[in-house]
Amino acid sequence: MTDLRACVGEGRASDEPLELALYARDAGVAVGRADAVCFPGSGAEIAAAVRVARRHGRPFVARGSGTGLAGGSTPLGDPVVIVTTQMNRVLEVDAQTCVAWVEPGVLNLDLSREVAPLGLHYAPDPSSQQACTIGGNVGTNAGGPHCLSEGVTSAHILAVDVVLPDGTEARLGSLAPDAPGYDLRGCFVGSEGTMGIATRIAVRLTPDPPCVATILCAFDSVEAAAATVSGVIAAGVLPAALEMMDARITQAVEDFVGAGYPRDAQAVLLVEVDGLEGGVATQVDAISSVARTNGATLVRVAADDAERALLWKGRKSAFGAIARIAPDYYLHDAVVPRTKLVDVLRRVYEIADAHELIVMNVFHAGDGNLHPLLVFDRREPGIWDRVYAAGTEILDACLDAGGVLTGEHGVGIEKRDLMARMFSVDDLDAQARLRDAFDPDGAANPQKVLPSGSRCGELQRVPDGTWI
Amino acid sequence: MSGPLHLDPDTLNACVSCGLCLPHCPTYRVTGREIASPRGRIAAMRAVETGAVPIDTEFRAAMEECVSCRGCEAACPSGVQFGSLMEGTRAALPAPPSRLRRWAEWLGYRVVLPHHRLLLATTWFAWLGQKLRLVPARFGLPRLSARSMFRPLAVPVGGTPDAWLFTGCVMDAWLRDTHRSAARVMAATGTAVSRPPSSAACCGALHLHAGREEEARSLARRVIASMPGDAPVVVDSAGCGLAMKEYGVLLDTPAARAFSARVADFSEWLVRRPLPKMRATGVRVVVQDPCHLRHVQKVHGAVRNVLAPAYELVETADDGLCCGAGGAYSVLQPELSQRILARKLDALRSAAGRVDPIVASANPGCMVQLRGAGIDARHPADLIAEVLDG
Amino acid sequence: MTTPPDTNRALDIAPVGARTHWEVGGPPVAGATEVRAPVGVLAYEPADMTITVGAGTTFDELDRVLAEQGQQCALDPRSRAATVGGILACGLSGPRRLRHGPVRDHVLEVRFETGDGRLVKGGGPTVKNVTGYDLPRLFVGSLGTIGVLHQATLRCRPRPVRSQWFTGVDTARAFRPAARLWDGRREAVLLEGVDVDVEAEGRGLAALAAPPRFPDGPHRGRISVAPGAVRACAAALTRTPSESASAPGEVRWCAELGVGTIHVAADDAAALARARSVAHAHGGWMLREAGGSAADDGYGCALPNAALMRRVKDAFDPAGKLNRGRLPLGAVHA
Ligand SMILES: Cc1cc2nc3c(=O)[nH]c(=O)nc-3n(C[C@H](O)[C@H](O)[C@H](O)COP(=O)(O)OP(=O)(O)OC[C@H]3O[C@@H](n4cnc5c(N)ncnc54)[C@H](O)[C@@H]3O)c2cc1C
Ligand code: SF4
Ligand code: SF4
Repeated sequence: MTDLRACVGEGRASDEPLELALYARDAGVAVGRADAVCFPGSGAEIAAAVRVARRHGRPFVARGSGTGLAGGSTPLGDPVVIVTTQMNRVLEVDAQTCVAWVEPGVLNLDLSREVAPLGLHYAPDPSSQQACTIGGNVGTNAGGPHCLSEGVTSAHILAVDVVLPDGTEARLGSLAPDAPGYDLRGCFVGSEGTMGIATRIAVRLTPDPPCVATILCAFDSVEAAAATVSGVIAAGVLPAALEMMDARITQAVEDFVGAGYPRDAQAVLLVEVDGLEGGVATQVDAISSVARTNGATLVRVAADDAERALLWKGRKSAFGAIARIAPDYYLHDAVVPRTKLVDVLRRVYEIADAHELIVMNVFHAGDGNLHPLLVFDRREPGIWDRVYAAGTEILDACLDAGGVLTGEHGVGIEKRDLMARMFSVDDLDAQARLRDAFDPDGAANPQKVLPSGSRCGELQRVPDGTWI
Repeated sequence: MSGPLHLDPDTLNACVSCGLCLPHCPTYRVTGREIASPRGRIAAMRAVETGAVPIDTEFRAAMEECVSCRGCEAACPSGVQFGSLMEGTRAALPAPPSRLRRWAEWLGYRVVLPHHRLLLATTWFAWLGQKLRLVPARFGLPRLSARSMFRPLAVPVGGTPDAWLFTGCVMDAWLRDTHRSAARVMAATGTAVSRPPSSAACCGALHLHAGREEEARSLARRVIASMPGDAPVVVDSAGCGLAMKEYGVLLDTPAARAFSARVADFSEWLVRRPLPKMRATGVRVVVQDPCHLRHVQKVHGAVRNVLAPAYELVETADDGLCCGAGGAYSVLQPELSQRILARKLDALRSAAGRVDPIVASANPGCMVQLRGAGIDARHPADLIAEVLDG
Repeated sequence: MTTPPDTNRALDIAPVGARTHWEVGGPPVAGATEVRAPVGVLAYEPADMTITVGAGTTFDELDRVLAEQGQQCALDPRSRAATVGGILACGLSGPRRLRHGPVRDHVLEVRFETGDGRLVKGGGPTVKNVTGYDLPRLFVGSLGTIGVLHQATLRCRPRPVRSQWFTGVDTARAFRPAARLWDGRREAVLLEGVDVDVEAEGRGLAALAAPPRFPDGPHRGRISVAPGAVRACAAALTRTPSESASAPGEVRWCAELGVGTIHVAADDAAALARARSVAHAHGGWMLREAGGSAADDGYGCALPNAALMRRVKDAFDPAGKLNRGRLPLGAVHA
């Protein structure tokens, strides 16, 4: 502690039991234990903190806002938790070349707000964008509705200054379009803090589109909506965002915010296209006609910005709406090929029925990123086993359809032990060796992402207070 | 099952730790620490309730550092009732260890605030202190004007008015001019206005924030009794207005609920009337939403509607983050309060284009806090009274 | 791809595509066993906008198959004969990177054989995926030194209805064009989209009959500088009249505005070396693509994070059999 205080400053490090308890988890389910926590104010202080941790034989865990859903910043192995929230300055903005240098603790939405007067924004927009940090986004390679056309975080990170697990500093990537050698920047983004800590990040900013249209389509069946998703893509249209909500969610959202969604629809699609006027008009026509061909009961283009904002507010409040009607829910994040959406969704409902559970679906349909939510009340005896079993079956169904385990939330601790369902022994071994190249001693965010050979019983399989 | 804080377990468990409230919490924004955040405070309450940690000085500090602005409550998608958790926790906290503090609290909450004359007298002392430069500026006292304090408020007391104007304790003592403006504007809409007798001055909001529920209840009963009938009760302090709107919950009686339903913020009331004629000035005014108006009463839209005919309104880009005033907060937690204020000033200035703006603020606490920083903060009632035609 | 797992250090392996970029970062040591990847489309689901191909498939073939469904994958190699494996290994993005992103952003899943003979899969077949470490991005630009690519799944996009090059003085005005080039004499901009938009955006500009060409010559390279420095760097490549005839020869160049890549070509190695020093003076570097002097190691600068890169290489190719002599660690390794 004394050493830690010496490097980050008095009052910027703590081992008070109460404060440590608050860093035991993120927004996911797993609970760990921090040995100490510190709040560095600069890259040099992060490096110093890492070196102190290493000198004392402790691992370390990077943490942003702790909104991660996979337990990425849950401290395992009695680590020093290094929190970046005090490093929250936008350091430089170059509107000419659309680049900003930011500290890792800058909040995603704060960055977009800061550059808004320049006609720019930061494209990846996770639903948690008001609260999550750019550093955390780099850690999880976060996605969001508008990543359908713009790509997820990795496509927007040009360079990262990092503290490597041995406490040395390095720049990965560059402002120049290519950096010599391997794409270490690409490796680092999405490494969930297991390859070091980002201390300064160069992000690409995106010009605001001159024209935006948001279309609301309603359907009598989930299948029709899902078929429309595939149809839109097959028609050669790549919308900026393409989101889907089923009947239960739609009703919950209407009760909660009154966004103007039809209450009697079995499924609604929220489609956004942007760009130049002509292209937007053409795409609106194409989407409308695909929707109608698939039997849409309503196709409505938002008349103005206010209506657009309201429709999006509805979508972004979906999780909140559910939280208000059900005490607990369990959420997965699998991705399936867009053409398999209809089949997989049918399976998801079947599985939930078989376990006598209610499932709700609100998700990034455009890239096949499902978020099936199993709703329950944890006070019901034995409920967790059913929820867990159903969740596992749903994941299996997604993998069987050629899908992947996680589209944006990351592996963390939550899906670590499921990795073997998607990867062979050799695949995992290769990933483990890559990690070792960065962190031979396993000091950076230990026990995350890759299943370890030895189980130390540190993870509760069925954790308490579940909400993901 | 509830623990030493006697909090409702369902309310406590409604928090799912998503963290979406974090950026809306002023103390988190300036410290970046969980322990100064809504999620952290709830987790700390939970830890105490389950016996994982004791009620120690750490815990007490974490609870006392909360401004009670309830920005988190408005932002929380799960509808966590943070205000009631915090009030419950503070009520359950044992008396503070320091005797000096206990004495000061007794003096403030039990003696001065409920006895309006005493408050006025204290205010005169403070005025004297200011004149003699005995009270340092960092104490956050408003610059007091002897003229305003000396002139009584020309509004009849009691009777059967069309609307009551609630005058309150601190506000009447420190910002009586605003009451004058409010009364003028109300009269301009053809309303007969009365005020309650000054014996029922304090609404009890500060007591409630401090966890002094019993005292708050007795003050509430006094206030309700002082304004009989069913005329609307107009309040030009967002903090008092909220407390009075919550009497129904606090006292849990039909009469209290009926009273709460009559309470309206000044702008909320005004916007429902035909607006008086105003001169368009074209003057830029930055709107600062008092937390209790925006996050809980959710009637901050009305402020814009009543000011729009006369002023060019500008918004800040901080989602209505707190200014750090928080009732007695600026006095009890001066250091945090000042850091929160600094953020607010930044937001106000950048909204106004890097100059010191005129700021509209519907809460005396905020006005005092902002004025203390040299900002020209005015109540919407003052701004409107200035541009009344005729 | 029947190379048996063999830890014998003497057995050097060099993956071969179409040899269109053979000199990039190389060549590898002589006598290496050449291996070739499978050819052909393995899976294509247009409605998913993903395609899986054998790494030996040429870009020409890939583009033809995609075009039939009105789609494209903007890898845009210099030669259409290049194979997907070669394009990914070199990681050299085409000019439409400005709008469509670099090569690395088009790759969803890779399957490659490591130096110790394991078949490894990284990434996933879906358009969005964060399961495990990003091996696809690591593979792109690795010059065949961490694995022999068998197959890759690529992300596709709708082909634009209209695609037209324009030239004019004010190409910066266009909203997110596909590409912007400048060769010192004129600026060209590639507009993509529906007819009305392309016409509206192109107003005031002159349509070009043929796309601009990158400079060619026996000595070629590509400079990477921060986009903010690209004009100054490019301008400095042009010899001033005061420079004597004994100075190195002329450098022909074409700069990608907004990106920071400058394609350079020269008739003598010394001119290419001068281009590199100009790049260094502007905070950038130059990758030799062809020719150059015998002493040119391909980068002409210290490899950043060399120790870390060395460990990454060892993680996949512990015996150092893959493309020995090629970059990134070429000189160090050989
Ligand atoms: C309501 C809700 C909605 C969400 N919606 C989305 C969504 O739409 N899309 C999406 O992708 N995610 C979503 N998330 C998940 C979460 O917000 C993201 O994973 C986000 O990127 C986490 O950011 P954070 O700052 O909270 O990071 P943390 O949770 O603190 O950390 C996340 C991971 O990154 C690592 N990390 C943090 N900082 C650094 C750093 N400086 N350097 C290296 N590693 C670091 C941590 O060790 C950890 O592994 C949602 C979460 C919630 C609660
Ligand atoms: S209080 Fe609400 S917003 Fe904050 S963490 Fe808890 S559930 Fe989330
Ligand atoms: S009431 Fe205000 S200060 Fe207290 S936790 Fe909530 S947002 Fe923070």
